[in-house]
Amino acid sequence: MVDDKFDSLKSIDPPPPSVGAKEIAIAAAMAAYEQEFKKNQKTVQGSEGAGRLMSIFNILNGSWIMKHRAIVGAVAVCAIAAPFVITQLSRDRTGAEIGTGKTDTGASTSGTPELKKDRETDATAPTGSDKSASGKSNSGDTSSAVVPPVTTGKPKRLVLPTSEAEMADESRIAAGLKSSAGGRRHARFQSSGRLRSFRHPVATAPGYTAPGDVIVRREDRDRFSKFDDNPQKLVKEEPVSTFSVDVDTASYAFVRRMLNQGTLPPKNAVRVEELVNYFTYDYPAAEDKARPFKPTVAVYPSPWNKETKLLHIGIKGVEVPVEARKPANLVFLLDVSGSMNSPDKLPLLKSAFSLLVSKLGSEDTVSIVTYAGRAGTALEPTKASDKAKILAALDGLTSGGSTAGAAGIRQAYALAQQSFVRDGVNRVILATDGDFNVGISDPEKLKEYIAEKRKTGIFLSVLGFGQGNLNDSLMQTLAQNGNGNAAYIDSLKEARKVLVQQAGGTLFTIAKDVKIQVEFNPAVVAEYRLVGYETRALKRQDFNNDKVDAGDIGSGHTVTAIYEITPVGSKARLFDDLRYGKKIETGAGTGTETGKADEIAFLKMRYKLPNEDTSKLIERPVTLSDATDRFDDLSADIRFAAAVAGFGQKLRGSNSIGEFGYSEVLKIARAARGKDEEGYRAEFIGLAGMAESLAAARSAATKSGND
Amino acid sequence: MAEPTDSELIADALAGRSQAFSALLDRHYMTIYRIAFKWSGNREDAEDIAQEVCVKLASILSSFDGRSAFTSWLYSVTLNAVRDHQRRNKRCQAKADAYSMVVENAAPADQEMATTLGQMWQAVKDLPARQRDAVLLTSAENLTHGEAALVMGCKESTVSWYLHEARKALKDLLGDGAGAHGDG
Repeated sequence: MVDDKFDSLKSIDPPPPSVGAKEIAIAAAMAAYEQEFKKNQKTVQGSEGAGRLMSIFNILNGSWIMKHRAIVGAVAVCAIAAPFVITQLSRDRTGAEIGTGKTDTGASTSGTPELKKDRETDATAPTGSDKSASGKSNSGDTSSAVVPPVTTGKPKRLVLPTSEAEMADESRIAAGLKSSAGGRRHARFQSSGRLRSFRHPVATAPGYTAPGDVIVRREDRDRFSKFDDNPQKLVKEEPVSTFSVDVDTASYAFVRRMLNQGTLPPKNAVRVEELVNYFTYDYPAAEDKARPFKPTVAVYPSPWNKETKLLHIGIKGVEVPVEARKPANLVFLLDVSGSMNSPDKLPLLKSAFSLLVSKLGSEDTVSIVTYAGRAGTALEPTKASDKAKILAALDGLTSGGSTAGAAGIRQAYALAQQSFVRDGVNRVILATDGDFNVGISDPEKLKEYIAEKRKTGIFLSVLGFGQGNLNDSLMQTLAQNGNGNAAYIDSLKEARKVLVQQAGGTLFTIAKDVKIQVEFNPAVVAEYRLVGYETRALKRQDFNNDKVDAGDIGSGHTVTAIYEITPVGSKARLFDDLRYGKKIETGAGTGTETGKADEIAFLKMRYKLPNEDTSKLIERPVTLSDATDRFDDLSADIRFAAAVAGFGQKLRGSNSIGEFGYSEVLKIARAARGKDEEGYRAEFIGLAGMAESLAAARSAATKSGND
Repeated sequence: MAEPTDSELIADALAGRSQAFSALLDRHYMTIYRIAFKWSGNREDAEDIAQEVCVKLASILSSFDGRSAFTSWLYSVTLNAVRDHQRRNKRCQAKADAYSMVVENAAPADQEMATTLGQMWQAVKDLPARQRDAVLLTSAENLTHGEAALVMGCKESTVSWYLHEARKALKDLLGDGAGAHGDG
């Protein structure tokens, strides 16, 4: 019997470790421990200098550079943007340190005592050895080269000087984050070292002093579609709610970046569902292998209103093992315009795509097309078995020149067509900082073009880079028209999350045009409100119309939607009963008549398999047995999602969540971290803490009447 | 005097008492080493990995949230270290070495058994990481599927799926050994 053979593995009997091995390991660990502990004890010092620098940057930035951007060009952009990367990288390290470090590689785990004892030297010296060891494939090692050993960087303190007491408060947040509070000067010093070790020379702007904490506030050209929160709906009047799923996460990355820079994000940049969906939740997959997913439903007390409940709908796409998937045919369509010439753009893009390439199987194909600036095919379709060639082509990309036209997109699709894989993954991945000058200038035409190509089986994903010129709304629209997703890459860590850890989801669609429709039972629910998904609303009749496009779910993706529902008889109802209308029945009403008194709502989902045009239906009632009375009894995943939903609404300044504030978000999130191997949840906790102090500072500033 | 529990030691270590941290390491070193050995297949790598884990614990101990047992958390940390380690020395040399190590160090009573075990072990180690982890956790470490799921951060059914896949992949080796014409 097969199991017996596996059982033979039980007899593996490890020989004892060699003499002294244990002692050496413990000694090395103790050294690291001392270091760690000392670091946490250190107080923060030396912020004055950077404060002044910041103001210089603000002057430059606010009043001058942006207006003369065209003239100053790439050099200025580079100088300004550089701090972003540094801040970002030091942040990222925070995340990395917190996690149990599944992805921690290289420097962070190499635990020889010498290395650990000498952390500072390690930090400032270019980590060249790492790189040379990694050779041509710079998969994990790139990240370790970039990742600094120690972190700090609390930009917000510089922007919004706070009192001693508040500083102490922040340190506590920092301690909670376990990011050590080792002096800022120190951090900045290391920043420059890190910069040098960054693989791409662009980062070393001449004479650049690495003011790692400088904040550059730009009320810039980032364009976000304006949208209002979903309104409260009366079940009697509008019992059915319909929307498309959304697995994009761009909004979270953008929000994180803003907060890390010490600014509260603009309202329209916050899409609550994208914040919630940034995290992975362990919802059960469908038992039936033919189905790509099944809904998980929970009803529980709302953390922000005693009188309402939340209806939580979660789905997790089945994970297609890498070995089982069809070959992928990927075309990278890369923006190499002059504006990409800053460390957080082209160099990051190169590293990001190198990471992706390292994950491909030998049967996969990669082509590279560049547009804007130097346009053309940088790499003819090449099998991923020849990784070296692909990486060399990526490495050879340079930015520059004007953004004058290029037939980039047509070329990209032509190449995709050329090496088309039947029933496989055929995808164009567009990476840009906002210049969509891809050869078709009319956005509507471009949308049509992409939608048309989608029908031939070639999908599109869009990755946003940098800041200041990001055309978020166009990115979203394009990706939606191309059955793809849009993600915002602000760091190598994010690149790894989007392109490597979630490569399955990002690249391998398991269900397309996924729509959700919920009908509420007026006998149980008086009012409801969909949290987030404002930009994804569908008409009720669109649900059954297979012609109407909707969002897609990739392998392993999780999607969460949350409704806030006000039960019949709740004090929280916003609508009064109509004087001349039928009275709202409490409890015994339409529900009992139809024998569905215990049904809260009815959930329907439609999806198409990737190669099919006819949708399939999944449906299930949401009943009282799905309800939980105590919030604390819920799984950590659900509680965490609720905290993120609260956080997003708070950032949007929603008036639906009453007194619920960042401290409540923090409380729930801290208790719901779960395993958090990658440290994403810990990072979230850090961001919420940061938002809390920024909001406090802002309201203080408003009170004193300036700014 | 009662021995302090893991959680007490952790709390003390996080509060800055270094003896607690060293006691914790002393208590768990062999577990870490054992896991590392079963995954890496040779003593040197296992020692390296164990040391890395110890060092790493200094910085990540505070992220242990006490929701699972410390030992199952240790499994996750150690398996991550194994993965990192292997990513670093991805050299085919390991194969030959590991094989000889089995025969030499595992030293079960009869030679034929050693060979079967050696083949099996090697084949399992060559599986994709998640499948390998599932097999070794449930077989070599004798965890239940539920415990393995906890360590691997996935669902129990996913563990079963990996095991299923692993069996499929190793069909030839796992069969009666007769028709071994297939090439692994």
